[in-house]
Amino acid sequence: MYAYELRFQRYFCQQKGVSYAAKIFSWTAALQSTSNEQILRLNRSYSVSNIVPNTDHCRAILCIQMSSSLGLLKLHKGLHSTIQSDGVESSAVEVEQTPQPRKLQSANHDNGCPSSVKFTPDIEKKYVHHVYDAIAPHFSSTRFAKWPKVASFLNSLVPGSVILDAGCGNGKYLGFNPHCYYVGCDISAPLIDICAGRGHEVLVADAVNLPYRTDFGDAAISIAVLHHLSTEGRRRKAIEELVRVVRKGGLVLITVWAVEQEDRSLLTKWTPLACKYEEEWIGPGSPRLRSPSAATLESIPETEEKSLCHDNEEKAPEESKDRGLDSASEVNNNSLASSNGKNGNHQEYFIPWHLPYHRAEVSGASATALASGLAKKDDKKGAVVYNRYYHVFAEGELERLATGIDHAVIRDQFYDKSNWCIILEKT
Amino acid sequence: MRLLTHNMLSSNIKGVSNGFPLRLEVEKFIEKEVEFNADFLRNMFPKIEWKALVDAAKTLGYADLPEEADPSLLDSDDFLKKYHHALLELHVEEGVLICPETGRKFPVNKGVPNMLLHEDEGFWRL
Repeated sequence: MYAYELRFQRYFCQQKGVSYAAKIFSWTAALQSTSNEQILRLNRSYSVSNIVPNTDHCRAILCIQMSSSLGLLKLHKGLHSTIQSDGVESSAVEVEQTPQPRKLQSANHDNGCPSSVKFTPDIEKKYVHHVYDAIAPHFSSTRFAKWPKVASFLNSLVPGSVILDAGCGNGKYLGFNPHCYYVGCDISAPLIDICAGRGHEVLVADAVNLPYRTDFGDAAISIAVLHHLSTEGRRRKAIEELVRVVRKGGLVLITVWAVEQEDRSLLTKWTPLACKYEEEWIGPGSPRLRSPSAATLESIPETEEKSLCHDNEEKAPEESKDRGLDSASEVNNNSLASSNGKNGNHQEYFIPWHLPYHRAEVSGASATALASGLAKKDDKKGAVVYNRYYHVFAEGELERLATGIDHAVIRDQFYDKSNWCIILEKT
Repeated sequence: MRLLTHNMLSSNIKGVSNGFPLRLEVEKFIEKEVEFNADFLRNMFPKIEWKALVDAAKTLGYADLPEEADPSLLDSDDFLKKYHHALLELHVEEGVLICPETGRKFPVNKGVPNMLLHEDEGFWRL
């Protein structure tokens, strides 16, 4: 039915006191008979859940769980073998042992592209992509309020404008100004399915690598997207892409969550990334090797048990308190690579999403997430709790990031409803 | 996926110097009537790569567009109607988009192209 090819980025096993594990860094699936949809879903949701060392050759047999529209598939893969499982045929997989597990990653510095941009970091796959895929219908049902600032930006565009929404989620801004032509994209296929079901023109794509011709759009928007990218290089690349795809004179609106939340109590519901996670996933240099079990949430402190419903709600549209950025320049000179904001404020967080049990049953993804430790049950709240990764922006950070972008000038910037916002014009 | 969208899509595989236009193979397409808006069509005209639109429309069995077009045609209602139909009313539902340089296929399923790259395509040369 399908042919799979898997390759590995880094690996280690546990045997004779030596650690071996494997991380899939890419796999391709060639469709032979059934619909594309299954491939789309399979392409995006996988996790290495278990690794069993083969004592003979220090080779690993991987047990990979994938969630898909077909339900839970278990693919057993072993070196020099082809295994039929659940009607899915898998090709042989090679797992090598290497004393230099980082070799593959560091050997590929092309075009001076910072290594932090090259791979979608695990933390984004597990704690952003996977989560939004799993919570898509519920998430979408809570996303309908439109921010007046975004609305006024869209309304200010001349009729006939092509507007590219990169990271459009459930597409709440698509078609907002009916005199314009919108194309939305998101990396979450389930969210894009929701948009398509509403008749929007959408595609599945990655915000750090937009599939559009250079200079085509008249405007681009990135609403609450950049804070899900886990390195500064990737956040910058996403801005460069937004600028690239609009024409000269075209505008780009970017909004991101601010450290400086109007409702300070929200921060108490967030889990600052434990130092070891930050070091491992966000910190400078290559991610450190870790045992497979370290990928679970076991060692992350529980968030405070507070009211469930507040976490998932869009912030109230009232209390719009604009604040100029006159003081932003003061923080411009702060350490460029600092992952923490001024005054040592934490910026890397897990922010919970409570998926009520009755919504969770809709999707087989939650079963997979629970099985693999990516989500937890909270019986008191009757919800499956997912953690979403956020890098919340400090005052001046977005400006600093945008200032370094070629062919772009800052036209406006403001603080609105706990978000930092910026409007760039392509020059 | 409308042909207007096809006209803006480009293969973004690392190392591909010209990923446009994506070749189109269509298994299923549909037509949906869209309100005619001459101003929109005129505004859009300078952005459109005409040959790519003509070729894509032919793939969908619509061969009424002229092979070449210049702005003077935008005064012709007949031309605008054909251009409107090709640009906005033809939707690819099932098929593939093919990178002109690498042959990499991007599936279009239920009208939605999936342009995601594998990790090695985004940032590595094979």
